[in-house]
Amino acid sequence: MKILLVEDDATTIDYIVKGFLEQGHNIETASDGHQGLSLATSSQYDLVILDRMLPQLDGLKLLAALRATGNQTPVLILSALAHVDERVKGLRAGGDDYMTKPFAFSELLVRAEKLMHRGQSVPVTTDLVVGSLKMELLTRNVTLDGQELLLQPKEFQLLKYLMEHANQVISRTLLFEAVWDYHFDPRTNVIDVHIAKLRRKFEELGHGELIETVRGAGYRLRQRH
Amino acid sequence: MTVIIGALLFTLYRQLIIEQQYQVTQSLESETQRYQQLALTVDRRSFAAQIRAADPQTALIAWRDSYDMVGALSFMPEDMPMLPQTRDFPILTGGPDKLHILTGGLVMTRYGPVLIATRTDNLATLIDKFISAAATAVMLTIVLTLAFGYLFSKAILRRLVQYNRLSEQIERGHYNTRLPLSWRQDEFDMLALQFNNVLDILENNLLAVRGATDNIAHDLRTPLSHIRIGLEELASKPSDEISEGCAILTEELDHCLATFDAMLSLTRIEEGQQTLDLQELSLAQLCTDLLDMADAVAESNEQTLSLSLLSDYKVFGDKYLLFQALYNLVDNAMKYSGQGARIEIIQSGPQIQIRDNGPGIPDDSKERVFERLVRLDPSRHLQGTGLGLSMVKAILSRHNAKITLTDNHPGLVVTITF
Repeated sequence: MKILLVEDDATTIDYIVKGFLEQGHNIETASDGHQGLSLATSSQYDLVILDRMLPQLDGLKLLAALRATGNQTPVLILSALAHVDERVKGLRAGGDDYMTKPFAFSELLVRAEKLMHRGQSVPVTTDLVVGSLKMELLTRNVTLDGQELLLQPKEFQLLKYLMEHANQVISRTLLFEAVWDYHFDPRTNVIDVHIAKLRRKFEELGHGELIETVRGAGYRLRQRH
Repeated sequence: MTVIIGALLFTLYRQLIIEQQYQVTQSLESETQRYQQLALTVDRRSFAAQIRAADPQTALIAWRDSYDMVGALSFMPEDMPMLPQTRDFPILTGGPDKLHILTGGLVMTRYGPVLIATRTDNLATLIDKFISAAATAVMLTIVLTLAFGYLFSKAILRRLVQYNRLSEQIERGHYNTRLPLSWRQDEFDMLALQFNNVLDILENNLLAVRGATDNIAHDLRTPLSHIRIGLEELASKPSDEISEGCAILTEELDHCLATFDAMLSLTRIEEGQQTLDLQELSLAQLCTDLLDMADAVAESNEQTLSLSLLSDYKVFGDKYLLFQALYNLVDNAMKYSGQGARIEIIQSGPQIQIRDNGPGIPDDSKERVFERLVRLDPSRHLQGTGLGLSMVKAILSRHNAKITLTDNHPGLVVTITF
């Protein structure tokens, strides 16, 4: 996948470029608005990661100009402007997702991949399989090592999201968004409580270690080899 | 001003002219009648005597008795019209004012045409005098108007210069500067008053922001110093503990950021800078969602959480903000009421109650808990920013809802009324 990063802070550029290269993506960078716009309009990208406060041309203006040319490349806005109003402004201007700085690369990766795969025709999956964990989406049947797991609706949604992103660190914010319709940072242990319940059910079948807590980052569903 | 005076004077002048003409016509007419009557009643000789004796102040009479001119005039001008038509004609006198203008006409009598004339040059001089007096008056008013206008504009300009100087002071950061008010209560004072009101509001906002930033700085200092210590210790840690240490520091940092964000959004909501995304909401639905989210947490605390919906009520509000406020209250109840507590959410019409049977809040602290960064738990061992209830209050007051804390004997009852 080919990504364009428009960002003027060198440290952030290094951090993001290193991360995506490790994941096997191809990433190009532009350090000001004009360069960003000319790159975005002259070559084909699967995703544009866009800072807002850029030299020469503001990120939102760049985005408006890009959309005005009919270019529909997914754009993920990455900005230090964190307020709800700013987020709304970014999404209204044609952004597909909005992340605020500071951020964790793991979360950026999940959001970026979601946007990059959006246009592709996803083969209709009815089953998710991660190691010995199987989830049938139609019957909502979940089995571990062939033994059935009885899950509450929220636990089911959480596990589904973790299985779709197996081996990736998923932040609490992402899990929260995946399960609840209300977007706010609850600063509570709601997610932890649900994960703990899920993990207890795994433990009963002898596989508590499948859901790993990554301190300071979130959770990861491990795929056993 | 000058134009009005000019117009008045002109009207007066017109009246004067009309009046003069009227008087001339009147006196000529009465003289005409007199001599016509006279001619009918007396003989030619007494008629001549009468004409000779006529008072020249009233009218000048002239009559040609065969060859001699009788009366005040020594000649009969040619082409005189018959009265009431008149004509102006000049005469010479031996007196100091040599040339006079007379107005007059002929009247036919039994003894031939009689010239009846009257002096109009006195009136004409009067009118001349009037015109020059009027012109002087008009000139004077123009001069006075200009002088007063100049002085008046000087005064206005002086106030504007003063306002300008004061606003420059404000620009330089003297935000307590106010524009002076005079006793006149004129438009300038109204402007100054309005300007001062704006300055009051701006200064208050500025102080609020300053207060908030001071609080942020204060509350961030502790976690930031923890991080600093942690980073110093990290260098001397065995390599297998480094990743765990980093994770702990990241969590501390996230907590800092969360506090920072909460401070900013609290200020924005309190100051009304955040626009609410208003929509019709069902309180019953909000409470159902609340139970849905909080249920598992209560269960893990071995608490029972119950929901009673008595009668639904619709409000216009910001769904996310209201939910955040309500969740915050339920979350507090779960955090502070302890293991095994019973928590009830009761929604009845415009009222939502969250009741618990935990330790409650002492009466003297019930108001204080809404202040920023006030946490009754001095050890602060439970995670939180100390802003939750301030945020709840700010959100509810933006929705014109009231919140009260009362005793549940034991425990706390939080009542929200829309």
